[in-house]
Amino acid sequence: MQYLLQLLISGLAIGAIYGLIAMGFAVIYKSTGLVNFAQGEMTMITAYIAWTISTTVSGNVFVVAIGAVLAAVLLGLIIERVVMRPMLGEPVFATVMVTIGLAVILRSAINFIWDAYPHGLDIGMGRGIVHLGGIGVRTGQIGVIATLLALLAAIWAFFRYSKIGVAMRAVAADDRTALLMGISAIRVHALAWAASSVIAGIGGVFFALSYDLSPAMFQLGLKAFPATILGGLDAVLGSGLGGLLIGITENLAGGYIGSDMKEITGFAMIIVVLMIRPFGIFGERDIERV
Amino acid sequence: MIKHFAAASLLISATCLAIGPVKAADPGITDTEIMIGDIEPLTGPPALLGVAASLGHRIAIAEANAAGGINGRKIKYVLEDDGYVTARTIQGVKKVIDVDKVFAMLGMSGSGQSIAVMPVLEKAGIPTVIDVAPVKFLWEPPRNNVFVIGQSYEEGIIHLVNYLADRNPGKTWGLITQDDDYGITVRDGFDSVVKAKKLKVVYSGNYKKGQQDFSSDMLQLKESGAEVFLAGGIIAENIAMMKELEKLGVKPVTGIFWPGRIEPVLKLMGPAGDGIYAVDYVEPFAGAAGKAFLEKAKPLVSEAEFKRINRYTMSGYAAAKVLIAAIERCGKQPTWACTISELEKTQNVETGVMAPISFGPGVRFSNQKLQIMQADAATLSFKPVE
Repeated sequence: MQYLLQLLISGLAIGAIYGLIAMGFAVIYKSTGLVNFAQGEMTMITAYIAWTISTTVSGNVFVVAIGAVLAAVLLGLIIERVVMRPMLGEPVFATVMVTIGLAVILRSAINFIWDAYPHGLDIGMGRGIVHLGGIGVRTGQIGVIATLLALLAAIWAFFRYSKIGVAMRAVAADDRTALLMGISAIRVHALAWAASSVIAGIGGVFFALSYDLSPAMFQLGLKAFPATILGGLDAVLGSGLGGLLIGITENLAGGYIGSDMKEITGFAMIIVVLMIRPFGIFGERDIERV
Repeated sequence: MIKHFAAASLLISATCLAIGPVKAADPGITDTEIMIGDIEPLTGPPALLGVAASLGHRIAIAEANAAGGINGRKIKYVLEDDGYVTARTIQGVKKVIDVDKVFAMLGMSGSGQSIAVMPVLEKAGIPTVIDVAPVKFLWEPPRNNVFVIGQSYEEGIIHLVNYLADRNPGKTWGLITQDDDYGITVRDGFDSVVKAKKLKVVYSGNYKKGQQDFSSDMLQLKESGAEVFLAGGIIAENIAMMKELEKLGVKPVTGIFWPGRIEPVLKLMGPAGDGIYAVDYVEPFAGAAGKAFLEKAKPLVSEAEFKRINRYTMSGYAAAKVLIAAIERCGKQPTWACTISELEKTQNVETGVMAPISFGPGVRFSNQKLQIMQADAATLSFKPVE
């Protein structure tokens, strides 16, 4: 029983990180209709910035958190303004290729700006081990699960009750009609990129706290992608839950079947789910009226 | 007669002036300069080894240039980045040989990359010393112009497992390896000792390259009750494994392999890394030879570069020293043939960073002596134990 619980808790912790990054995918897709293949790299850049702040400015958790959030906002806005906005109205294929190019540039930037060594993010918390009923968990792992749950609730409220959230949903549903209603699609896109960068960046910072920073961290994006497909590419909350589902399933597969199964479980799951629900578990069916 | 002689002399002199100084038969060498090429991964995660190895080459070259170069010729270093992508390694080698026209080659990225460029190197016939990823294919069968400094991965693992088995008789074993050629080599070495010493293996895992979360793998290891553990990850993987074991509250006797034996790893492992064993053929920085090397390197590289020095810097330095010494022995007009012949004659060359290096007729592999080291978390260093 303890073996199962340990697998579940570890799965929830890594799943929460996948979930946060998956939510980043979904926020951009929901607002712009675009799959951002540089999501994992944006996550990594924010985590590296947090590490730089912790080693050069202050290791205080609040300073690092505020600095990392501001940096993530800036990163999202710069990418939207410099790279994505000029692509507005261009074919989807070209825009997706731009995000792939961006991914390669951001990946290489790690070595140009920082280095190839792994680094530990030390902010005086998150690395300690607590024992819950004999099960060892790092405090950072508890933190990321709590953060994901809090963000899921906050995002649900944001989309349901805030004016900006409703505007974002309107742009996602029909950007031309939204424009006629006085909603600036460009502003909504910029906001989506900033929000996506922050949400995924939080996942990256928690990953760096619980594990370590390394130039291979961008691969988290590859693990989070099945989560967002599973939850629904247009479902922000569903993507978060999809991350938890992927994390738990791959850990159970790794623990009960074997390490080899761990990495393929997520992709095996999306194949099965997409056969039954092509729009994901929580995604909306696209209805086209002719 | 005197008139004819004078005319002939004038003609010869004019011709010499027109064509400039007499050039050596092989490329990459002028009256004042000799060019050495290098291909390394300078971007992406493997830059950790590529940048460090290239620093080793640069330190040896800077040292030689400061002492007047090779018989009066300054060494010019041409470095190309392959990003650890095999296609780019081949492209890079072709570029430095055909376009930059270097005289000799060093480095050559990872094991897969070195294997892939072997036909290009053989066809070109350029003197080459490989120092980053020694794998058997590079020296078996021996290629005339390709020399390899180091020790085979398989021998390294055999040495480490034998050492741990002798000191932990009757204990149960666990092993995890990467799902690639590196992992297969580690597993092959491990299996050969398991068979010979009849070790009891209770856990055997295989992880996918790039895996970052080892929670279920280490939980399985814990459940298996393994008392001795061979962590077959490279760098980030070994760190993640050790921290996971710390979280689970278990500390088996652990051995790691030299690709991951770099000091920053210990800082990241924290107390979990204390006492782990490693095998290597280059000296640890905590020893006298390591300290002397760092002292030597400090004035020759920038502060930022100094921080990037690791064990690969030492292996790169040794390779460059051996190559430079061979070219030097060829005298004023070195050629490829002479350099290859002199490399072959290399006997007990002291580099200060590993055991003396030797090649021989038909021997293209230096077969370096191995040593076991143990991590000391307090000083964040590896110390020799045998």
